[in-house]
Amino acid sequence: MKRSSRVGSRIFIGLTFLFLYLPILLLIVFSFNAGDSSAVWRGFSLDWYKALFQNRLIMESLYTTLLVSLLSTAIATAAGTFAAIGLYSLSKRRRDALLVVNDIPMMNADIVTGVSLCLFFVAFFQGWGAFAQWFNGVQSAVELPVRLTLGFGTMLLAHIAFNIPYVILNVAPKLRQMDKNLVDAAQDLGCTWMQAFWKVILPEIKPGIVSGALIAFTMSIDDFVISYFTAGSSTSTLAMRIYSMTKKRITPEVNAVSTLLFLSVLALLVLNNVREIRQERRTDRQELRGPSFFENLSMRLSSPAWKWARRGGLAAAACVFVAAVALLTGAAWSQPVVNVCSWGEYIDEDLITQFEDATGIRVNYQTAESNEALYSLLKSGGADYDVIVPSDYMISQLLEEGMLEELDYSQIPNFEKIDPRFRNLPYDPENKYTVPYTWGTMGLIYNANMVDGELDSWGALYDGRYAGSVLLINNSRDALGAALLHLGHSVNTTDEAEIREAFALISDASRRGVFQGKVMDQVFQKMEGGNAAIASYYAGDYLSMLDNQADGVDLRYVIPEEGANWFVDAMCVLKDAPHYGEAMQWINFIASTEANLANMDYIWYASPNTEALERYPAWYEAEYGEELDPELYEIMAAPAEVLERCEMYLVLPPETRALYNELWIELGV
Amino acid sequence: MRNNRGWFAVPYVVWMALFVVIPIVIMAVYAFSITDPITSAALPTLDNFTGMGAYLSVFLRSFWLAVIATLVCLLIGYPVSYWMAKEGPRFQRLAMALIMLPMWMNFLLRTYSWMSILENNGLLNQFFRAIGLLDLLGVDHLQMIGTPGAVVLGMVYNYLPFMILPIYSVIVKLDGSLLEAARDLGADGPRVFRKVIFPLSLPGILSGVTMVFVPSVSTFAISNLLGGGKQMMLGDLIELQFLGGAYNPHLGAAVAMVMMVVVVVCMVVMNHFGEGEEQAVIM
Repeated sequence: MKRSSRVGSRIFIGLTFLFLYLPILLLIVFSFNAGDSSAVWRGFSLDWYKALFQNRLIMESLYTTLLVSLLSTAIATAAGTFAAIGLYSLSKRRRDALLVVNDIPMMNADIVTGVSLCLFFVAFFQGWGAFAQWFNGVQSAVELPVRLTLGFGTMLLAHIAFNIPYVILNVAPKLRQMDKNLVDAAQDLGCTWMQAFWKVILPEIKPGIVSGALIAFTMSIDDFVISYFTAGSSTSTLAMRIYSMTKKRITPEVNAVSTLLFLSVLALLVLNNVREIRQERRTDRQELRGPSFFENLSMRLSSPAWKWARRGGLAAAACVFVAAVALLTGAAWSQPVVNVCSWGEYIDEDLITQFEDATGIRVNYQTAESNEALYSLLKSGGADYDVIVPSDYMISQLLEEGMLEELDYSQIPNFEKIDPRFRNLPYDPENKYTVPYTWGTMGLIYNANMVDGELDSWGALYDGRYAGSVLLINNSRDALGAALLHLGHSVNTTDEAEIREAFALISDASRRGVFQGKVMDQVFQKMEGGNAAIASYYAGDYLSMLDNQADGVDLRYVIPEEGANWFVDAMCVLKDAPHYGEAMQWINFIASTEANLANMDYIWYASPNTEALERYPAWYEAEYGEELDPELYEIMAAPAEVLERCEMYLVLPPETRALYNELWIELGV
Repeated sequence: MRNNRGWFAVPYVVWMALFVVIPIVIMAVYAFSITDPITSAALPTLDNFTGMGAYLSVFLRSFWLAVIATLVCLLIGYPVSYWMAKEGPRFQRLAMALIMLPMWMNFLLRTYSWMSILENNGLLNQFFRAIGLLDLLGVDHLQMIGTPGAVVLGMVYNYLPFMILPIYSVIVKLDGSLLEAARDLGADGPRVFRKVIFPLSLPGILSGVTMVFVPSVSTFAISNLLGGGKQMMLGDLIELQFLGGAYNPHLGAAVAMVMMVVVVVCMVVMNHFGEGEEQAVIM
């Protein structure tokens, strides 16, 4: 090939690599950023690495990721090899038919595999529940668990299921190439079949097994979609953790964990390459290459003298592995646990540690994106939460469907401190199921430097002048609620024409390109960084944004003249919650005045605890040595005259809910 | 060897039935039924399919964006694989390692890195501002995030290795003597490529296209993160019905079924077309 064309081709290859690596490089650079932005450099620091190792959620998910990848690779490699040998003893016709089925998981989109496995597990759990109930009823010697949920086990099964085909695909060609007479010869010469397998088949197909295992591991560690649908709520891989983080404020801890992952893989690759190059040099020098360390080891281990040692060693290794896994999972099981599901950025995380230290109960803290997403999670059978924190209207809906358990208020003495204003509300008229967590308003947030003058109407959300800079809230109730208010209707209307009118307002704005996107907690990052001008969101979150706003951003909050929504989020316990007692302790702890003060200070949502609400300004002054801006306090805890202009969401009848769902999907279309 | 170890395959057959076939059957059951809102019993129906016309635009958008992403991957991936195969073994090994390496980071990390680049106030816009491009155009920022282009970029970035690897592995195994023979028989460079190299690399192209197209058409994470949730794709539509804000697993299962069938039909047609081509060339 001519020199000039080689230069051209190398430039092209180089540019492709630049494209592949530049984003990763930037990711790494910003992991050393002193600020918490991933776009503005504020100096070098290692703070995010320190934060990473203290971030239990990320570290736990990293551990889960590695465990599920290693376990599923090991199991799938063994099972796949076994199956491939079996397949090659079948007639060609049968084998080909089975190989077509083998191809299905590889051909199918991940999401189809994930969804179908999710439905399968849930159906199985339902059947199992009925069986266990019957079985426990007819005998009393063995007590079978009635309620199974998605979790680490189901995710592991799913990973094994999509890994086995890759192993078979890699082992099969080696089996095809192998001379079948070899095994017969070995057996004729007196080998048992086991010996023939270890000494003849295995060495022949080893390269296939190794590459199969490698691909299985790669697929497993790269997977997000299948885990997402089969892991349920209490287990998270690193990818799932990041996905839920991208819906909130992403901190550079994610950059730090990416950097560490990248560097460890890079180190492995470099080591491997160096080894290969050394071998190559040795080959150049000696023509005949001496056996490598691993080959040496395997040769020695396969000599007859080592047979028993080898078997013992294998057995011991297997035992240690099983024991380690059993120990780790056992330790996790024996400790009392409470599974809590809340919203993003919705708790002072120190409270979790305090509670754990005080009671010895481990808190498995998860978050959902919105009330609607929480509902989906609960319905799809993926959740094994004890305590959830839905909003008013969703509480009514869950109650209507019999999904909540009554609380034992004798175990929640702190309920006494809840302001009477927030008791016996329409969603729970006799207050048998709920303890309020926070309350507040949903208003208009805007960046004064990006809009003309002051805004005081929901109309700004649909204003073509701000095309591309408006964020639409990503749940049907709040998005349609604002539009209904703007049109002068009630947020609780069941009149289809009114709802369709509100929808037309939104979809028309969407067509005109007014919305930059549909977001929930991504709103933090977008508004704080000046990436968007207008959004509708919750008062408490506005105050958080105010704390973090970048230079040149001037965020304001207003309850528009048309009025707004006011809400209460309350703690509830799900029917048949596995950890009812622990759940009561958690609720009582969170309802205490101290916890409410800490939470109020951290998340800026108003507390329903009378003492905490009254004491907060004084507490703030003592803590920070400056007065709390009364205007901010009014935004947080809206005074009575503001609340009067606001309307609480009530549960809608099923037809109206179906209409909301239908319209909401149509908007995306 | 025959006969006595056929039973080795039995656990595997049971496993496949349990974790591959039955889940798809259950999904089909969901797709062909709805839940009665009052008794919550499953009623058989075709409603989930007949109402699907409303989502035609989602289907079209998904397939359209996936086709573009696949074409871009092919346009970048083919020359890279082709030229890589012409380099020395050490270069090839290094290049292969560099292509594989990002795959060991989870693809969400890779997608996330693009978010901070494409934001309105992100790195790329800051760069454009610094070099005066934005002033020149008289705009505050270039809108990149939340556009179909950003979604395609995310797909190309994530799935490009899936295109390069199969094409490269086919080209690198090409029999050199075939090329020599072609030249000896008087074919010039472009003609050798057109008549020999390209047809022989078709199997690699086909498997690369499959490996890029299928995840692209069904993605929901990429369209969610880079498309701002506005570029709804089939994956988003399905996710929305299962774990998102509009719970309806029956409709979700129906959409997944239709997608599965359409993708399989596409693949079968393409593979047939490809095989015919290949045989014609060899004969």
